[in-house]
This record gives sequence, C-alpha cells and structure tokens, in this order.
Amino acid sequence: MASSSTSAVSERRGIPAAAFVEDVQTYLTQSGLDVNSSLAFLQERLQQYKLVEMKLLAQQRDLQAKIPDIEKCLDIVATLQAKKGTGEALIADFEVSEGIYSRARIEDTDSVCLWLGANVMLEYSCDEATNLLQKNLENAKASLEVLVDDLHFLRDQVTVTQVTIARVYNWDVHQRRSKQAAAAAAKDS
Amino acid sequence: MQQGGGSDTEVTWEDQQNINKFGRLNNRFHELEDEIKIAKEMNENLEDASNELILTDDEVVRFQIGEVFAHMPREEVESRIEQMKEVTSKNLEKLEEEKDSVLAQMAELKRILYGKFKDSINLEED
Repeated sequence: MASSSTSAVSERRGIPAAAFVEDVQTYLTQSGLDVNSSLAFLQERLQQYKLVEMKLLAQQRDLQAKIPDIEKCLDIVATLQAKKGTGEALIADFEVSEGIYSRARIEDTDSVCLWLGANVMLEYSCDEATNLLQKNLENAKASLEVLVDDLHFLRDQVTVTQVTIARVYNWDVHQRRSKQAAAAAAKDS
Repeated sequence: MQQGGGSDTEVTWEDQQNINKFGRLNNRFHELEDEIKIAKEMNENLEDASNELILTDDEVVRFQIGEVFAHMPREEVESRIEQMKEVTSKNLEKLEEEKDSVLAQMAELKRILYGKFKDSINLEED
C-alpha cells in the first residue's frame, strides 16, 4: 500500500495535525528538548486533543438526536397532506401532560405551524413546510458528515501522538541501557 | 488498544498509517455493534406490532407518527408496518455486511502489524 498524501495536511478546521516523527533522535535534536520536556509537551497535546474530541462528540450526539426529529415532522406533514383530498379529518391522540392523553380532530388544512426555536413559531403552507424541513434535514446530515470526518482526523492525530510518546519513551530507555552497558564495560576494562 | 514502537523496530509512516487505520476500524466496529443492536430491536418491535395487529379486530388503529397517535384504518397501518419492516431489514443487512468487512480488514492489519512488531504492539481489546 503506497503512502497516502494525508501527511501533507498540517491542520484541519482548527485542529493541529500531529507531526509524524521519522527518527526519534533527529526529532529531539531538532526540537532542542530533552526527553522529559518532550514527553510533557506530547502529553499536553494529547489532553488538548481529548478536550476537542469531547466537544465534537457532544455536537455529534445533538445532531444525531435532531435528525430523527426532523424526519418525524416530515412524516406528519406528509400524512396531513395525504388526508387533504379525502375530506376526512385526521383524528389523533396526543399527550397533554405526562400520562394524560386527549383526542384532537385535525380538519382539512393547507397550512401547518413550524417551531423554529427561540420561542418563534411560523405558519407555512404544507408544501413550504415540507421544503423547509427537507432543507433542514439535508443540512443536518451534511453537518454530521463533516463532523464525523473531523472526528476521524482527530482520532488519527491522537493515535500518532500516543505512538510518538511510546517511541520517545522507549528510545530513552534504550539510551539509558546503552549508557549503563557502556559504563559497566568501561569499568571492567 | 495500546500501541508501542519497539525499541529495536523502527516505526515508519506506513506503519503509523496502518495503526491509524486499525484504530478507525476498531471505533467503527463498536459503533456498528451498537447500531446493529438497535436495528435488531426495531425489527423485533415491528414483528410484535404486526402480530398484535393480526390478533386485534379493531377497525381503527392508533399508529404513532412523531409524538401523536393518529387514528388510521387497519389496512393502512398494516402496509406502513410492512414497509418499515422492509426498510429495517435492509438496513440491518447492510450493517452486518459492513461489520464483516471491518472485521476482515482488522484481521489483515493485525497480521501485518503483529508480523512486524510482534510483542511490542498490543491490538487486543482491554
């Protein structure tokens, strides 16, 4: 599998990319940091990534709850429209309060009211309502897709950072062992 | 899932990308398991609903649309439930297929990564 070009991305929507370390020795020399400072820096980066991940996951949960709501609204408007030609009223039982239901009789109607949020409700014709709801649904789905891609990117950066931490740590252990071995050999000779 | 580069084996960019891909697939696998569970429950509920429908002899049935229960003739409810069952079954099939594909890709990546890193890497669930 050839290397993909994702190594060229330096950041995505405000999330900095984690630079891949080709060689630990070169990385430490170039950054001028000693092992402990380097590890501290990488750990901090990891924490920042985790914070962003939590924020994105919360946004994802909101969107995932919003989408079925919009689909239910579309269903109701479609049902009302289907009833329109027949001259029959739609009879529906709805919840007045927890555990208490009442019966409503919805006559043939050309319009519905949509809750837009911020204490605002507007009346729309059935067709306009369907269009608006459809557009909202598409926007929500598109936002969700972008969000999911962001999360994938973020998780990749977390993985790269975790691997880098492990490699720097292992390199350090390796160095200490070599130094100890060299010192022991020097003492014996 | 933990990762580690061995102190002797070097980690190349390709290895890193494989590890990243494994991580993504693992996450997707867990998401799929949850989604499959929900789809199976939905299927069961629809099955129960259509069985109840057969048993009842009410002419008008209350069918839930959104937050309200609309009064509908029985045949319309029956056909709606049939339609929902079909959609859910197809969805479940698609999810199961994706899960199989994800598992296969993960097995392949495990083979490659364990092959190179042996004990220095751990790709199991903790």
